Amino acid sequence: MNEQLINVPMFNVQIDGVWHRFPRGTRVIEACAQAGTFVPRYCYHKKLSSPGNCRMCLIEMGMARLGPDRKPELGVDGMPVINWMPRPQISCAQDVTDGMGVRTNSPLVEECRRGVMEFLLINHPLDCPICDQAGECELQEFSVEYGSASSRFLENKVKKPKNVELGPRVTLDDERCILCSRCIRFCQEIAKDDVLGFVDRGSHTVLTAHPGKRLENNYSLNTVDICPVGALTSSDFRFKMRVWFLKETKSFCTSCATGCNTLIGTREDVIYRQTPRENDAVNSSWMCDYGRLNFGYIESERRLLEPRILSGEKLVPVDWPTAMAQAAAQLKHCQGLEVAIIASGRMTNEELWLTAQLAKTLGVGWIDIVPRFGPGDDILLSEDRNPNSNGTRLLGITAEPGAQLPAIVEAVKSGAVRALLVLGEDPTKLGLSLEQLKELPSLIMMDILSSVATENATVVLPSFAFAEKRGSMINGEGRLQRLNRAVRAPGQARDDWEILRDLIQACAGTNGIGSVEDVFRQMSETVPHLAGLSLSKIGDLGVHVMEVNESPAPPYTPASHDIEEEMEHQPPGRTSK
Amino acid sequence: MVSTSTHVPAELEQKMDEAIARYPHDRQRSAAMPLLHLWQEHFGLINDEGVNWIAAKLGLQPINILELVTFYPMFRQGRAGKTHIRVCRTLTCAMGGSYRAMENLCAATGIVRNHDTNGMHSPVSVSADGNFSIEFVECLASCGTAPVCMVNDDLHEHVSPEHAANILTEPKSGLVRPAHPLEHRLVFKNIGRKDWTTGIDCYLKDGGYEQLRKAVTMAKTDIVNEVKTSGLRGRGGAGFPCGVKWSFIKQDERKPVYLICNADESEPGTFKDRYIIHEDPHQLLEGVLISCYALNARTAYIYIRGEFPEGAKILEHAIEEARAHNFLGMNILGSGFDVNVHVHRGAGAYICGEETGLIESLEGKRAYPRIKPPYFPAVLGLYMSPTIVNNVETLCHVKHIIAMGGAKYAQLGRTNNTGTRIVCVSGDVQRPGYFEIELGAVTMGQLIYDMAGGLKEGQTLKAVIPGGSSAKVLRADERFKLKEKQPDGSTIDREMSLFEIPMDFDSLAAAGSMAGSGGVIVLDDSRDMVWVLNNINEFYAHESCGQCTPCREGSLWMKKITDRMLLGGGVVQDPKTLTTVADNIAGRTICAFGEACAWPTQSFVQKFPEEFASRATKPAPPPLPPEYTSQELLEQEQIPTLPLTRDPGWEKAGASGMI
Repeated sequence: MNEQLINVPMFNVQIDGVWHRFPRGTRVIEACAQAGTFVPRYCYHKKLSSPGNCRMCLIEMGMARLGPDRKPELGVDGMPVINWMPRPQISCAQDVTDGMGVRTNSPLVEECRRGVMEFLLINHPLDCPICDQAGECELQEFSVEYGSASSRFLENKVKKPKNVELGPRVTLDDERCILCSRCIRFCQEIAKDDVLGFVDRGSHTVLTAHPGKRLENNYSLNTVDICPVGALTSSDFRFKMRVWFLKETKSFCTSCATGCNTLIGTREDVIYRQTPRENDAVNSSWMCDYGRLNFGYIESERRLLEPRILSGEKLVPVDWPTAMAQAAAQLKHCQGLEVAIIASGRMTNEELWLTAQLAKTLGVGWIDIVPRFGPGDDILLSEDRNPNSNGTRLLGITAEPGAQLPAIVEAVKSGAVRALLVLGEDPTKLGLSLEQLKELPSLIMMDILSSVATENATVVLPSFAFAEKRGSMINGEGRLQRLNRAVRAPGQARDDWEILRDLIQACAGTNGIGSVEDVFRQMSETVPHLAGLSLSKIGDLGVHVMEVNESPAPPYTPASHDIEEEMEHQPPGRTSK
Repeated sequence: MVSTSTHVPAELEQKMDEAIARYPHDRQRSAAMPLLHLWQEHFGLINDEGVNWIAAKLGLQPINILELVTFYPMFRQGRAGKTHIRVCRTLTCAMGGSYRAMENLCAATGIVRNHDTNGMHSPVSVSADGNFSIEFVECLASCGTAPVCMVNDDLHEHVSPEHAANILTEPKSGLVRPAHPLEHRLVFKNIGRKDWTTGIDCYLKDGGYEQLRKAVTMAKTDIVNEVKTSGLRGRGGAGFPCGVKWSFIKQDERKPVYLICNADESEPGTFKDRYIIHEDPHQLLEGVLISCYALNARTAYIYIRGEFPEGAKILEHAIEEARAHNFLGMNILGSGFDVNVHVHRGAGAYICGEETGLIESLEGKRAYPRIKPPYFPAVLGLYMSPTIVNNVETLCHVKHIIAMGGAKYAQLGRTNNTGTRIVCVSGDVQRPGYFEIELGAVTMGQLIYDMAGGLKEGQTLKAVIPGGSSAKVLRADERFKLKEKQPDGSTIDREMSLFEIPMDFDSLAAAGSMAGSGGVIVLDDSRDMVWVLNNINEFYAHESCGQCTPCREGSLWMKKITDRMLLGGGVVQDPKTLTTVADNIAGRTICAFGEACAWPTQSFVQKFPEEFASRATKPAPPPLPPEYTSQELLEQEQIPTLPLTRDPGWEKAGASGMI
């Protein structure tokens, strides 16, 4: 930013009578925003091109008056004299110029806005109470300031198609569409999938996709986010919850190494939706549909709700102290190469650090995580589907994820490993058969969902999903980001770091950790990259902590541990198999 | 290369490849409209397969093609009859009885018209036997011979509404008109001549292409300067000085420069370019070529409206003839200058007359005008390259400027209103037609009474729309205050009647209207101004591209209000609503269409308040539920009936006085 300030010329711009300075290249509408004046808009989106079609951002504009010497004439205040244009101008498509004048609150501007509001509403259904967009609709928002309480429109409205499935995840109500073309531009410019367009003409213009090529790209739901009205809705979310009841928690997506910043919308411990949160260092304003909808498993019927231990032939529910004592006893029974830990690239830094401490305490001989790859794209989706591979590297779990894994599996198969601690992974997917797992004297599993493996474990420790806990991860670019708790976990599930801390305590006595902040503090004291940081200091937008080697990601092989399993728990919207 | 179950004959595909070759190799999308025309000519409609096939052929998405098919009304997704009839619906033809002609044509062909008005495009109705189909179309640019119809590709003029069916059997008729003594024919010198043909030999015998020969020996800047000196103002509507426009193009421009000839003549009331294209194509071509040379434009496109299929063929033939004489092609006339001219057909969208809309259309997109700034054509025009868009008549004048010299040309007409221009008179006059006049040398009165033969028997003048239907209407009994420039440079105010207004740019602007495209529509005292405005409003509602909010919503709203007023449902607020809606459009849209559709309403309501008031007498009804008419609600019995406190007086509120 500072560099820019030095190199870019600064322009004087008068906004509502007050002179400000802006760097060259600033859009007028953005300059107004920086000066504290919000100019209403529908079609303008700062991440997309400006077609200037909604006409809501009309303002009065003037340029510096040039004297005979082609230099700006200066007024008594020493500032340029402004030549005001007679006609209102849009502020979304023009950059500031030196000596420009802008009026955003003049009677003409107000009149323009009222006029455009009226035009937008005459053919728009006024059934706001049953519209899914209500509460986050920009038509509603600007109606408060520029709308009229009554309508002069005595004619029949133009009828258009309603409830159109534009694709597997997006539903369109054409009558609500104000033809701002944000979605079309998004598909062309960001998703690089030119599938949306307008058909017919004039007031009868209709947004649609060609029947033979629907809106089914992996970024389709971003069109719903940027739709300023209730035209495009998420087939998954629509009519599930009024948005004003949603509590929004800042978090990030854990479905791949990109770590798109998100808002998790919840009510009473139920997640209703995830939406992208702007972070230009990570995901701009977007996220992929795969990550966005990948939260249904949190409410799965297969959630593990209580700790269980193997008693005789059966897993029986027990209380936490019993389970921890049992786990610790089983772990302490073995030593060195007899113990293996399979951790996960989906664990937070705090959990990974505690895992490393536990491994050290027990003198564990084997430790690794399960690498996880899928097809990526050039937009946001990373081939590395583990959100915290870099955390596992930084915290010394593994130098190269998966490098030790085959050896661990062989050691389990050969019986050399007698105690296997699995954290959030499924060992049956690593080539270990159920029989081989059953042979293990102790199989301690910390997980959120039950699986064949947990059903055959010796100790089962139910833990938290990403939306239920606080913690940090390091994305593929080396950026430290923070998860915040959006919902409470079901049953007796416990936060992963607590389980790990208790295990360490049960094995080696007290360690002085009382909160996840304590974990971070201790971790930051030992890991130089994190020095001086705390969970609060990470902030909502994260901190870059790690230089990441530009080595290409390993090629995707479908045979590797695939991610299809989670997909089963996804909402019905996703059908693109 | 493209798989489809419809067999695309090799011959057709070859034509398509030729069409694609007219555009830069990385701009194949431009060929979308030519390909759609070819497909429709061959298969009779553009079905889904056509959409997919063309999209694949051009490396586009099917939605890109579907967007075009639904935007341009000439593209049909359904099959038309063997004989397809287009009846012009716009003002002058409607005044001449085209609605009755439509009824009679339907009766004669056994067509039951589908009156679905909610869809934007007037639907095509087909007779049961599939032999005939009919549709209303907007202005066919032959208002001087109204009413007109097209039967397949042939224009039929002076259609008798009562005997409209005759057009199905009679050959089309031509119009021959000698020049009126008050005329000063320059561009129209050869129009209407009995001994004149469109062939190049005829043109050459008459001294054709001499100016091109002369131009290629001149320095490019000299030509631009001659045009500047001439004071030539654009004849398309805005009247922007042509030389100034040309000087926006840098002589050392590195990007390719394009010249586009705007032959999308479609402003209701205007029918001048039609005659140049159909009767004197080489004059236009010579003007285009001189302009290309002056601007260093190696490629020119003539964007001709889709409703001129014959004109397109004539121009294409003229281009081939000119190529054979080395007037265009490589190294023209040994000058070392290469230039190519291509014809690009529109498909029925008035908005393509707007220069940036035209450019978008030429790029193979919906004709959505571009925002200016930043997309000034001279900087970021066709393919984001510097582009000059000139009207047909303007380009023809260039030839005469080279012939006469800019200074001599500038002596024609008046200061700032130089040269001649073609004025088209239509409507309620004895002899409608085109007249080429020296600007300012003829008054409105002379034009209407001397040249156009005055009003019809027993009628008096009520109003004049002086510059195409978007110009503000002038009332016959209005008094105008015009500034008149004195020889010493001072100006004095002179009050004058409508008849005294000189026909030039500045005088008509001073009278509160505009010279526009030169289409003078005369309305006599038999005309109902609400009806006239409604006809104009329907045109603009139909032609609004729908891109920006005020015009998209406002144009249809105004049409619905005047519709209702005509049906007897006018409420007292209507005139005020009309005016404020128009006020909210004008000046707030992307392109000048906003003004074009607002000015008629603003001026009609302002200047004929008594007529609008007499049709707006009912108290405003209570607002209706937005989604349903009261009729629908009554039929569905979904709401309890309540007695009204007052009679809404509006037929939609139900005869029983109950809602």
